[in-house]
Amino acid sequence: MQNLSIRRLLNNKIVWLYIFSGGLLLCTGLLGLFLSSVTVPVPTILHIVLEKIVGMGWLQEVPKNEEMIIWNIRLPRVVLAFCVGASLALAGAAFQGLLRNPLADPYTIGVSSGASLGAVLVLFFQVSIIGLGSFTLPVVAIISGLITLIVVFGLVQLSSRSLAIETIILAGIIVSSFIGALVSLIISLGDKDVMTQIIYWLYGSVGMRGWEYVQLIIPFMVIGTIILFYHYRELNALALGEDAADHIGVNVKKGKAFILVGASLLTGAAVAVSGSIGFVGLVVPHLVRLVIGPNHRHVLPLSLLTGGTFLILADLLSRTIIAPKELPIGVVTALIGAPVFAFLLIRERMGGRG
Amino acid sequence: MIKIENLVGGYTNSPILTDVNLEIHRGEFFALLGPNGSGKTTLFKMITGQLPIQSGNILLSGKEISSYSKLEKAKKVAVLTQEIQVSFDYTVEEIISLGRYPHQKGMLKSLSKEDHYIIEEVMDITKISNFRKTQFRKLSGGEKQRVLLAKALAQEPELLLLDEPTNHLDIKHTFQLLDLLKERQLSKGLTIFSILHDLNVASLYADRFALLHNGTFIEVGDVELLRKEEQLQKVYQVKVNAQSHPTVPKPQLLMTPNYTKIKDKINFTDSYEMTQYENLTHIQFAEPLRTISNGAFGDGIQWLKHFCIASDENLLKKYGIPYEQVGCMASTDNIMVTQNSHMMAVVGEEKGSFNILLFIDGHFSDGELVNGFMALTEGKMQALKNLSMNSTDTQLLAATQQGRKVSAGEIREFVFNVTTEAISRYLQMI
Repeated sequence: MQNLSIRRLLNNKIVWLYIFSGGLLLCTGLLGLFLSSVTVPVPTILHIVLEKIVGMGWLQEVPKNEEMIIWNIRLPRVVLAFCVGASLALAGAAFQGLLRNPLADPYTIGVSSGASLGAVLVLFFQVSIIGLGSFTLPVVAIISGLITLIVVFGLVQLSSRSLAIETIILAGIIVSSFIGALVSLIISLGDKDVMTQIIYWLYGSVGMRGWEYVQLIIPFMVIGTIILFYHYRELNALALGEDAADHIGVNVKKGKAFILVGASLLTGAAVAVSGSIGFVGLVVPHLVRLVIGPNHRHVLPLSLLTGGTFLILADLLSRTIIAPKELPIGVVTALIGAPVFAFLLIRERMGGRG
Repeated sequence: MIKIENLVGGYTNSPILTDVNLEIHRGEFFALLGPNGSGKTTLFKMITGQLPIQSGNILLSGKEISSYSKLEKAKKVAVLTQEIQVSFDYTVEEIISLGRYPHQKGMLKSLSKEDHYIIEEVMDITKISNFRKTQFRKLSGGEKQRVLLAKALAQEPELLLLDEPTNHLDIKHTFQLLDLLKERQLSKGLTIFSILHDLNVASLYADRFALLHNGTFIEVGDVELLRKEEQLQKVYQVKVNAQSHPTVPKPQLLMTPNYTKIKDKINFTDSYEMTQYENLTHIQFAEPLRTISNGAFGDGIQWLKHFCIASDENLLKKYGIPYEQVGCMASTDNIMVTQNSHMMAVVGEEKGSFNILLFIDGHFSDGELVNGFMALTEGKMQALKNLSMNSTDTQLLAATQQGRKVSAGEIREFVFNVTTEAISRYLQMI
């Protein structure tokens, strides 16, 4: 009897956490649409969003410029911030689980450096592929991210048949540092303008991107998310070590390969559209684990929601603190993330989980 | 259940196992014995598929083991190894539910009602229900191992492979874990194939044994395998003596270390001290003696240092004589001590019965000790018979285990003389 009620309570707690995270996401999103230099009333915002998405507006007249600001500038920015934050946090949770290393983050594996290299090359040569125009940069970044994934994979395969974890980490580090050196080389060769542009891009930003970028990241995000959600049990099993996972019937090699590909797709796409935004992928999964425990069944979806919320909030701060100028979003993520993380860590130490 | 035929394999270059044949029947507890490096773990890894088979077959329920998919195999075979590291703070219940992995179906793969039922059941069996919400890393070694056993049982396996499951557990947790396994074997017909380091523990729990040495089986058989001292000595290179467990009809092995304490030969007459208290005579030797006795304390065959004749056992405490190291018998203070160069007898008389402590400076095997004891009795009975008296009392024979052998005849004669004298003194007194 007692056990049953405890479990019901816990189930409730989990349900409430999902509701809370979802609600927080909606509120933050709305806040992101509301707060800016031009103030649009909340009902108008809701009207515009609903009208555009499901054709269910109730207001008769909405000023054209307000519609422009909300639909073409702010909403894509908020949605993109959500997508990037969600992808990075989800990828981070998966990498930490896969590599059984709390220090792993989406950038450990080197795919993000590859995407950065593609973007930096585009900026350096100022090229634009015919038919893509300004869209050249993210496309090239994604492609070079995927090429890097193949290189890392090849390196791991050649040196360890079983995709040993140490080898994955080492291959990631080798590839990242090599590509990092290339990026530095390019920066040092460029003139001052290009240099500034590159460095700003590397800081990361979700502003001034428009719906095209959202369209670009969404397919990768959906595929990556499905792959990872499907493999949550393998991630749990891998916590016991690979041998023990094998003993309970997990196809360890296949599982690892899928998780690696899923998480890399998410990371590569996120970096391609926004630059390398740090801290989200490292810290959000830890925050989620502190609250809900390590079971990936809940860690993955909650990391996705929380990561998205977190980045919308970080973006909001980055553009309002010293408006009209903007702070690099990566600076903000670390500035908010680190103290929150420290606080939770201390609280955990004092009071235990839950 | 599992059949291994002409198996060769191991790490790529040189095979560790050569020509291994073995059949394990359904429902038996099979122990795989052998020193480190003999190939026990290699054999296990070949069964679990972690190492390749170079030639030969492993058949699981009559089917080639490599033809099973990982999931099919995990439904039949579970593995429990030495303690494993778990990353992140998983709770006990979460760890155990991983054991349901091979049984989960459907797109969502969440835990079904049946899964929950089985998880509850295995937690009950392994007595870990109470800390289901505790984090795994906070448990003690014995509890961790029980959790991992519960996880293995949650797979509902037909065969359980154990790789030194009790390796760093204390005796309490070792026996607790093995009792659990044995219970499961007997009640559910679980087949257990276990690598065990401790031969004595293996002897108590396993039904059949295989002794692996340098990659081949020296012998496969029942518990009598553990009585073959020479064979074990050859494999383990430790001097072993097989003895019988006092209450369970199984052999237990006693190991003798290679180092020996260098002892000077002690002069027998100087090697003890005798103290007479009121109602108690205490004889203390510098080194323990090998003794055989049917006395009130220290009966059977033992190593003892203290000996006494006391009218009341509470006197031992009074004079600070350790209970555990004493050979003692009841008698009055009517004591007679007789000694020659290599034998010393203490005879205590009470109402016409005679208790004898006989100390001998000589070397006796256990069998010779029994012979000596019989000679002691014979000598005493002969003396009593000549004088037409009857006595069925206690006696003790203790040997210094140094020097020469002492024959039964010598003992009989000495005891006869001593007893005769004691009787004549007794007769004078009354």
